[in-house]
Amino acid sequence: MSTPTTTNWAQALVQQRSSPAPAAWLDNLRQQAESRLDRLPLPRRKLEAWRYSRIDALFKEKFTPVVQAPDGASLQRPESNSPHVLVFVNGWFSPSLSSLEQLPDGITLKSLAQTLNDEDEQLRQHLGSIADKDENLFTALNTALINDGLFLHIATGIHLDEPIEVFYLNTASEEALLVQPRNLLVLEEQAEATLVEHFLGGKGNDYFHNNITEILLLGKAKLNHYRIQDESSNAWHLSNIFLRQGEQSHYHGITLSFGGKWARTDYRTSFSGAEADCNLRGLYVAGDDQLGDFHLDIHHNWPACNSREQFKGLLYGKGRAVFDGRILVDRIAQLTDAQLTNDNLMLTRNAEVDTKPQLEIYADDVKCSHGTTVGQLDPQHIFYLRSRGIEETMATHMLCQGFAQEIIDHIHLDSLREQTLQRLQHTLKKLQE
Amino acid sequence: MSAKQETVEDLVKAGYEYGFVSEVKSDTLPPGLNEDTIRFISGKKNEPGWMLDYRLKAFEYWKQMKEPDWAHLRYDPIDFQDISYFSAPKKAGEGPQSLDEVDPELLATYEKLGIPLEEQKALAGVAVDAVFDSVSVATTFRKQLADAGVIFCSISEAVHDYPELIQKYLGSVVPHTDNFFAALNAAVFSDGTFVYIPEGVRCPMELSTYFRINEAKTGQFERTLIVAEKDSQVSYLEGCTAPMRDENQLHAAVVELIAMEDAKIKYSTVQNWYPGDENGVGGIYNFVTKRGDCRGDRAHISWTQVETGSAITWKYPSCILQGDDAVGEFYSVAVTRGYQQADTGTKMYHIGKNTRSTIVSKGISAAHGQNAYRGLVRMGTKAENARNHTQCDSLLIGDQCGAHTFPYIEVRNPTAKVEHEATTSKISEDQLFYCRQRGLKEEDAVSMIVNGFCKEVFNELPMEFAVEARKLLNVTLEGAVG
Amino acid sequence: MLSIKNLHVNVDGKEILKGLNLEIGKGEVHAIMGPNGSGKSTLSYVLSGRDGYEVTQGEVIFEGRNLLEMAPEERAWAGIFLAMQYPVELPGINNMSFLRESLNAIRKARGEEELDAVAFMKLIREKAASVKLDDKLLKRSVNAGFSGGEKKRNEILQMALLEPRLAILDETDSGLDIDALRIVSEGVNLLRNPEHAIIMITHYQRLLDYIQPDFVHVLADGRIIRSGGKDLALELEDKGYGWVLEENAA
Ligand SMILES: Nc1ncnc2c1ncn2[C@@H]1O[C@H](COP(=O)(O)OP(=O)(O)O)[C@@H](O)[C@H]1O
Ligand SMILES: [Mg+2]
Repeated sequence: MSTPTTTNWAQALVQQRSSPAPAAWLDNLRQQAESRLDRLPLPRRKLEAWRYSRIDALFKEKFTPVVQAPDGASLQRPESNSPHVLVFVNGWFSPSLSSLEQLPDGITLKSLAQTLNDEDEQLRQHLGSIADKDENLFTALNTALINDGLFLHIATGIHLDEPIEVFYLNTASEEALLVQPRNLLVLEEQAEATLVEHFLGGKGNDYFHNNITEILLLGKAKLNHYRIQDESSNAWHLSNIFLRQGEQSHYHGITLSFGGKWARTDYRTSFSGAEADCNLRGLYVAGDDQLGDFHLDIHHNWPACNSREQFKGLLYGKGRAVFDGRILVDRIAQLTDAQLTNDNLMLTRNAEVDTKPQLEIYADDVKCSHGTTVGQLDPQHIFYLRSRGIEETMATHMLCQGFAQEIIDHIHLDSLREQTLQRLQHTLKKLQE
Repeated sequence: MSAKQETVEDLVKAGYEYGFVSEVKSDTLPPGLNEDTIRFISGKKNEPGWMLDYRLKAFEYWKQMKEPDWAHLRYDPIDFQDISYFSAPKKAGEGPQSLDEVDPELLATYEKLGIPLEEQKALAGVAVDAVFDSVSVATTFRKQLADAGVIFCSISEAVHDYPELIQKYLGSVVPHTDNFFAALNAAVFSDGTFVYIPEGVRCPMELSTYFRINEAKTGQFERTLIVAEKDSQVSYLEGCTAPMRDENQLHAAVVELIAMEDAKIKYSTVQNWYPGDENGVGGIYNFVTKRGDCRGDRAHISWTQVETGSAITWKYPSCILQGDDAVGEFYSVAVTRGYQQADTGTKMYHIGKNTRSTIVSKGISAAHGQNAYRGLVRMGTKAENARNHTQCDSLLIGDQCGAHTFPYIEVRNPTAKVEHEATTSKISEDQLFYCRQRGLKEEDAVSMIVNGFCKEVFNELPMEFAVEARKLLNVTLEGAVG
Repeated sequence: MLSIKNLHVNVDGKEILKGLNLEIGKGEVHAIMGPNGSGKSTLSYVLSGRDGYEVTQGEVIFEGRNLLEMAPEERAWAGIFLAMQYPVELPGINNMSFLRESLNAIRKARGEEELDAVAFMKLIREKAASVKLDDKLLKRSVNAGFSGGEKKRNEILQMALLEPRLAILDETDSGLDIDALRIVSEGVNLLRNPEHAIIMITHYQRLLDYIQPDFVHVLADGRIIRSGGKDLALELEDKGYGWVLEENAA
């Protein structure tokens, strides 16, 4: 088979786009993205950002975009304690599975498709404003096919205390689906919210989930953002999160990656004001024939911002991990404080880890560091537990949990933290069999 | 506050001490590179046919290659046709038989460089081979070394005198296909050093080579090959200087080290090629491929480098740790000031069981200098219990410079353990003040703090050279502080 | 010896010292006490020439020279020594060689001969023993990883070694246990002679039990609001700062 090119792989997908967009400006956005597809290179090992991700097989697969809202009638409503639940089925909002209680004034929370009909000015102004500056094939692909997703806008000074919980369900289908939610979150000055996103797929379903989330935090806005990726074991999952933070804004993000055969999450952060805080954390657990892959690009382009990046991986079976994190500090970004760590635990013979933490620094009055470790459990620690009468498998289990705990402890929602622990234990138990 | 700023700038503007030009009559090939150039070089050296064939093969390969562009470096394209590929001080054709035959001006040059070329002046028992432009001019202490069975000679001589060894080992660690600059070097290398330490021999003295580029518009392409047989040991040091010229000159060397079972090679470099002036005009382009192969169990290769010169530095002294329990080390201090740029680091390929590697990299950036550490640590599937520890620290002096860290860590064995740490800092005002409060001048305080920062690396240099390196660092950073 | 007249100092645009006057004569020991944040450390830094302290008014004359025009090292050469409240760590710099550099720089400035390695070793061992500083700490990097008490003793060792004409001790006593306090005090008392002067900045009367000051000053809100003999310290101990502050306000 000849090697696929961008043109024939991506164009084939875009050709299946159905109706024109409900608004002319959106049509424009889509078309610009489409025209970029031709010149953007197909991600390959030779491109530094794809060096370790091994994506070639994706281009050999044939995907079908979901061009209209599927029927979610047969699906079960996901469990949630939140008063604000949105469910997307194959990338499309499902009103019947969602439940949205009355929101305080100043908060818009709805599906993108719905918002398009309402001609929301915020949406028009911000959609694509960060993401589409990025020269990335998958971003262009998402934009060229924009249909639905999550739209959240919180006006100045409004706090939403209860978390918003979003479920992306990916269902079984005859052909492999291309699912592309497109999300936009805008928090005006001093607005605050908590968002929890679950990415779920039925056992064995084969699909490519290619989501994009643009987040704009204005001065002193605050967002807690939890993302739990538990896709089907046959799924491709790619998340691109574009974050722009205003002065003294605060972002607290945790991504937990458990599922998918190939799961990659890219964070791109930049600032539009000084003294902002960006906290990114992640835990990836990858077993047989799974890839857990994180890319961070933290661009300190304003002075006196802090960023913390802490990512931990547990690898077992033939699990593979890739971590590629860059901190870039511009000349003007004096007083930057940025610390990045990546720790990997390899539990089995055939696990693999490739990690690449980078610092690129052009300002002198900064505190920047990174630290990386790759290794197995410390035999001394196992011995210590065993000498206290704990069986070896249990000891391993405890130590792995302890390793992950450092990330899990940063989940401030009790139920979610509990849920995550259970999810982790489920995997660890499998490991012992 | 402003008094302080000035000082830092002054520190950064310090002059280049080794920028004199020697008036030596030389035999220089006009600029240009084609098959004839290579035949000329080979002919000049009266080389056997196999050597010429090797060069031509490399040249053919090079012609197909593209200059690498992945490094964090910016420079105008190099015109490889505008470089002279051979320059020898006159007389060199026959090669000097003893020191008396060496041009006195040359000897004076080496004296200016502080090299103890004349044996009676060689205080520390260091044997020196000096490469001036392209040709090896003198090798000291031959007899003592010969008695120990150590071969220490120019590579041209070795091609004639030890063809089997050269044919066996040359290009066996860095093949001509390795990279663009290695291919170029294989085609046009003019001279260099060959060291052979027989089984069980501990080389009785430090070996050393001084390189100097003198002639305008010349490139220097030396080739170093060191073979340490089973259970032998050698410590080798190279030093480099070049005159101040306002065009860029190319230096593209290849160094190959081979350490057999239980052998130990310690390779130290003090690189002080002309860095260009404070506006970034002139200076040496230093594109060097250095690699050591630990072929036997418990073999040990240690690279130590102090890189203060060159406009551009592109070099990654690496270790292939094949033998079980083999050890690789890389200790580096790289200073960039003016408009200097360095992209340097190492690669540690862990193949054998229980292999260990240590990387300590200290980058100092001042003025407009850009300093990047680039390193690879690869733990292969069979590297049971292999260990790596990497520490990369960057020190920034001034707000116009840059410090970058690009490590690549690839682990294929769960029993292997890799730890990597990197930090970035500047000299804190508090530290400076504390030293000055105790009576140290600001420039002394700076150099003391910088030396403290580099200490772990200097500790790895042979004693005599550690002193020299410290001095060099001081000269590099010192200025006319008022 | 030292004459401070109407000293006004800004830090980050905020006035911290607001017209401070102080006269110190040869052989005198002055204690400066005062509430937290009153400007005691600021005074010690201005006298030793740290960056970031802007003198907006006033003058400081030390032995006939305008101190404010001198670089920190020139002040050190002239005999000013500051034992810092929070001594700085210098990783990678060997304590012993640091002390030697420092001593020789100051000896040179005084027109004395530099000490060779042997003579220096002998001297430093003696001095270290006198402040009961473990020899091992001499071989480590300056203050790096030292405990609080070790850092303070290292400061006193430096003082003993450099024999400054004017030593300023900024809360050298805080955080020390009784034994360490005694050692520090012995170090200070050794330096005490008709040629040397000492400024002790402290919070506690405790130190003054070991070192008898000739004068005690209360520094509050950037000014010396009260001066007296050692009895003033006792009174302060008894009644607290509030008393002087009130009295001053009245
Ligand atoms: N670098 C600085 N920037 C701003 N304010 C400072 C700085 N240093 C000291 N100050 C302020 O100056 C005042 C005096 O501080 P200091 O001299 O340390 O007091 P003391 O030593 O008497 O406790 C305090 O209010 C302190 O907060
Ligand atoms: Mg204080």
